[in-house]
Amino acid sequence: MAFKYKLLKAIDVAGLQVFDPVVRLCYGEEPKLQLRRIGLFIVIPLLTLAAFVALWAYVGPRHKTKAGEVPSPAVVLQAGQDTWRFDAWEDTKAADYKRAGQDREQALAAVNARIEELEPQAEQAAAQLAEVEDAYRTQLMEQVKPLYDEYRQMRVDFRDESQRREAELEDRAAHLSGSVAEREAFLDALREHRQWEEGEKAELAAFKDQIGEIEDAKAPELEAARAQSNDLGQELQYLRKRRDQLTSDNLSLKLADAEQRLEQREQAFLQASSGEEALSLANQILAEEAAMERIETSTYAKPWTLPDQIMRSILCVFTGFVLASIIAIPIGILCGLNRVFMAAMTPLISLFKPVSPIVWLPIVFIIVGGFIPEPSDSALLDFFNAIPVLGAYDVNPAFLSSAITVALCSLWPTLVNTALGVAAIDKDHINVARVLRLGFWSRLVKIVVPSALPLIFAGLRISLGVGWMVLIAAELLSSSEGIGKFVWDMFNNGSSQTFAQMFVVVFVVGLIGLLLDRIMIVFQRLVSFDGAPTAL
Amino acid sequence: MRKDRYVEIYNLVKAYPNPFGDDVKVVDGFDLKVRQGEVISVIGHSGCGKSTVLTMIAGLNPISGGGIVVDGHEIDGPGPDRAVVFQSPCLLPWLNAYQNVMLGVERVYPHASKQQRREIVEYSLSVVGLAAAMKKYPREMSGGMQQRVGIARAIALKPKMLLLDEPFGRLDSLTRMELQDVILEILDHEHITTMLITHDVDEAIFMSDRVCMMTNGPGAKVGRVLDIEFERPRDRAELLETDQFYRYRQALLSFLDECELEKDRLKSQKAQQAPKKEKTTVRERIAAIF
Repeated sequence: MAFKYKLLKAIDVAGLQVFDPVVRLCYGEEPKLQLRRIGLFIVIPLLTLAAFVALWAYVGPRHKTKAGEVPSPAVVLQAGQDTWRFDAWEDTKAADYKRAGQDREQALAAVNARIEELEPQAEQAAAQLAEVEDAYRTQLMEQVKPLYDEYRQMRVDFRDESQRREAELEDRAAHLSGSVAEREAFLDALREHRQWEEGEKAELAAFKDQIGEIEDAKAPELEAARAQSNDLGQELQYLRKRRDQLTSDNLSLKLADAEQRLEQREQAFLQASSGEEALSLANQILAEEAAMERIETSTYAKPWTLPDQIMRSILCVFTGFVLASIIAIPIGILCGLNRVFMAAMTPLISLFKPVSPIVWLPIVFIIVGGFIPEPSDSALLDFFNAIPVLGAYDVNPAFLSSAITVALCSLWPTLVNTALGVAAIDKDHINVARVLRLGFWSRLVKIVVPSALPLIFAGLRISLGVGWMVLIAAELLSSSEGIGKFVWDMFNNGSSQTFAQMFVVVFVVGLIGLLLDRIMIVFQRLVSFDGAPTAL
Repeated sequence: MRKDRYVEIYNLVKAYPNPFGDDVKVVDGFDLKVRQGEVISVIGHSGCGKSTVLTMIAGLNPISGGGIVVDGHEIDGPGPDRAVVFQSPCLLPWLNAYQNVMLGVERVYPHASKQQRREIVEYSLSVVGLAAAMKKYPREMSGGMQQRVGIARAIALKPKMLLLDEPFGRLDSLTRMELQDVILEILDHEHITTMLITHDVDEAIFMSDRVCMMTNGPGAKVGRVLDIEFERPRDRAELLETDQFYRYRQALLSFLDECELEKDRLKSQKAQQAPKKEKTTVRERIAAIF
């Protein structure tokens, strides 16, 4: 029983009161009421979501763009899975590169077995594809050929008729008398002829479009065969790459090779007869040693994949967020404590608050660049890259400028809320501090900050939300590896596959934003001493 | 000598600025001497400046004129030697009962060991009957319990003077009686010089050695001081059976009635004195200009 209430309390703190009836139902508490609540507050929202997806599935594919039609939910889901599979494959390749000894041999055997298994399948699929394509083409030809014939005939007819009419008109023009009525009648005839011509041309174009539509129409069988063949081809290509990583490109093999060469050189050196030869061999030994060192520290050059970029974006937003908090909270407290300081800061706050991240970023980019003239040799970058988790994601000037832009745009809600929270302290609490004659610091730590904490956290929550929105734009502009960069790359790629992946990003960004907000809600609830509910 | 005049308030004035005339003197010429260990009640109609006097003694409200001397030192600002219990409990909501009391104890006993401080806090909380609720947060306590914490916080400071600003004003009558007994018991033990602001006549008689009746404001001062000659410790039921109690009560009530009558008289006088403005029409005023 106690666990039930603990669970309910946890749900409440996390702001997930929606799931309260589910827990109560599991414990069999007033099932009728709980079912009603589930129906109203869980099923109806889910239905709304389903309605949205259905609307999207209906409307999306009906809009044609340069990058294919707007992807349907199913296509987006597929694109998401592909993106994740790409990441998993790259991870496997990176692992393969480091495999050595028996582990390597086992992996290689598995890869080879799979290749052998797939190759005939792929061939079969290719053959089937060719067959289906052929069949489709002949069928299409049969369907289209009479139409083309008709079209050609229509064109010939049109040309003949047009020529005949024009000859007639020329003839009429040659025999025009001076009568006004006749001349006007001729003008009308010419006008009528032009209209007829245009009408016929439009008809022809419409007919041709019809044929084109039939030709462009998707044949589901053909699409399926093509997709199957593509899939097999992709997996084969991946397996061959793996095989390379396990054999010719493998780290342990390369090392063994280099070691062998080194040994040979050393043998030769020991037996060298002339001084010249000894010197040359000694030089070669040194070169080999250096090469070995390089090989030892080398890694598989893994390209950026979406999960890595997401992780880097999250780290970037937190870097900016921490920076913003470090600046905003102390200034906010000072503003709340001192009206003169508040007045002094007001022009700066009002001036810089509305500035868009698009303006900050280029400026910050140049300024940060000024601090880091040589990225490969910078104490600042070394400092960030030495931080445990952050360092693994390659902090560079673009990362820092994105983070600073996030900080510049997201510090305002925290600053304003902190100032408000500090200024709005209960007068009674101030009186307590006065009676006890608390010093500045203990007044700050024991009265002011705890009292303002709920509002400070409300500000931090808004800041994190703003920061997350700003970050995507900043990454897109600064080409800092992350979700924004991913969107930009996909946009520039311009295929229907990448178009679908941009939709994947919409959901990824939304979900992560939601998650960050939830985390902040939990913190806010934990520090709000009055147990006040927060907006969802 | 000093015991008789442990607290001395002479010619106390509180004036608020009035932008359209002379300053408004809420309290004007308040004189009072309090013996050490004495409990004195201040009673008067609401708005007469009782609380203003108390907040000035506490140092929370600046003095416009006169002076306040406590134990030979003129006060200048608030301090833990004059502990206040406000009408609302004023606990810090992010601290539990123990921490709320500890906040003051840490300040007043900077050289005591951790153990000693803990004992002081635990003692004061147990005196007000909260030994079992030390870890409770204000939001988990009733108004009466919160006010008990407020009292514990005040007495833990070992103040020279205890200032009670209508401490039972927001409590129901049962809780009020309980708390009155709690405070009386503490005062019988500790003999802290106490000033109690109240508008409850029975409470004033039951709790105090002397009742100071204030005239109505503005310009409120001490009207009369009534000695309450009951022995301590007192018992509510016994007191209520004595005729003396009702005589005191009658004296206080008649004073308060007099004040009310005086106020009405002053009002009507003022109304008569005020010159009636002659009404002029717009046209007449325009005519006057040209």
